[in-house]
Amino acid sequence: MTDAPAGLAAIFAAFFWLGVTSFGGGTAAWLYRAIVQRRRWVDDQTYLAGVGLSRVMPGSAGVNLTVQVGQRLRGGWGALAAVVGLLSGPLFVVVGLAAGFARVAGSPVAHAFLDGVAGSAIGLTFATGLVLVPRGRSQVGQMLITIATVVAVGVLRWPMLPVILCLAPVGIGLALARRPGRG
Amino acid sequence: MPEDWRNLLALILVFGPLSLFSIGGGASLLAEIEHQSVAVHHWTTQREFADLFAISRAAPGPGTMLSTLIGWKVAGAGGAVTATVALYLPSSLLVFGVSRLWGRWRGSVWHGAIERGLEPIAAGLVLAGGLAVLQAAGGAAVWAAAAAATGVLLRWPRLNPLILFGASGAMFAAAALFGWR
Repeated sequence: MTDAPAGLAAIFAAFFWLGVTSFGGGTAAWLYRAIVQRRRWVDDQTYLAGVGLSRVMPGSAGVNLTVQVGQRLRGGWGALAAVVGLLSGPLFVVVGLAAGFARVAGSPVAHAFLDGVAGSAIGLTFATGLVLVPRGRSQVGQMLITIATVVAVGVLRWPMLPVILCLAPVGIGLALARRPGRG
Repeated sequence: MPEDWRNLLALILVFGPLSLFSIGGGASLLAEIEHQSVAVHHWTTQREFADLFAISRAAPGPGTMLSTLIGWKVAGAGGAVTATVALYLPSSLLVFGVSRLWGRWRGSVWHGAIERGLEPIAAGLVLAGGLAVLQAAGGAAVWAAAAAATGVLLRWPRLNPLILFGASGAMFAAAALFGWR
């Protein structure tokens, strides 16, 4: 156990800093450096178990991981301090940016700038999604599920929840059927 | 003010349930948030939605702060906090409750099957989200910028996206300034 006693204020401060410095959604990696390597509040194994769970559960992986580390350190209050710390910085920054933009929203140049940002941010979304797409001959079924999701939600604009509820059992069934060590 | 309370309640009713369906992170909710905020609740126009999306991606943070901005647009500071809490509280409580059980479950067949079974859906949702914002943002130039950025990021995955956002924004601003489009 490397768990050192950490107070609620220290937990809040550490995660606040993590929130405002983690750009581009790489919270898990930043968290590893700040919490595991530098402060040694949790050990590698706890961290890795947390990463696994944070990916399967709904919600932002970074927030989910933060909940678990906070919980590990100080129970429910620790989890609350960590999550509020993590989210409050970005909340102020993002609302500040939006308020700043609202002041210049009449300007066509400001709008054009934001169009440019939106375009490349959509590119980031596509690049992220494309890296995640299952590929390879053994993964045809998985790829079809991805395509079905894109068409249903992105093109036909069907509501997301029923689409997930229909496709999730298919995806999990496929994964069960192909698990290593079977036939 | 009943109107204000109604707005806050509507934010909770939209983002709360979505919280439990954001598989693979906030980006998977993009298409649904666009639909809810533009077509269903008329919280933003397509144009405003695209602007808020751009701003939310330029800010730091663990995931999407888009819900925060929509809340802010609908009901000011209280709306920003309400939408953020509504989006993150249900999923956080779920993780909090499940994390103890999860350790015992490790290595079981279902553990891996759920992890791998949801991956292709998550990938599809992220791509669908990109398409939804693209339709909202409109304009051939935005499509071109999105395509170019996709190519650049696939080629150089470790590039800091903020550099790309800034460069692309500056090019668009210059084009508007000199009346190229």
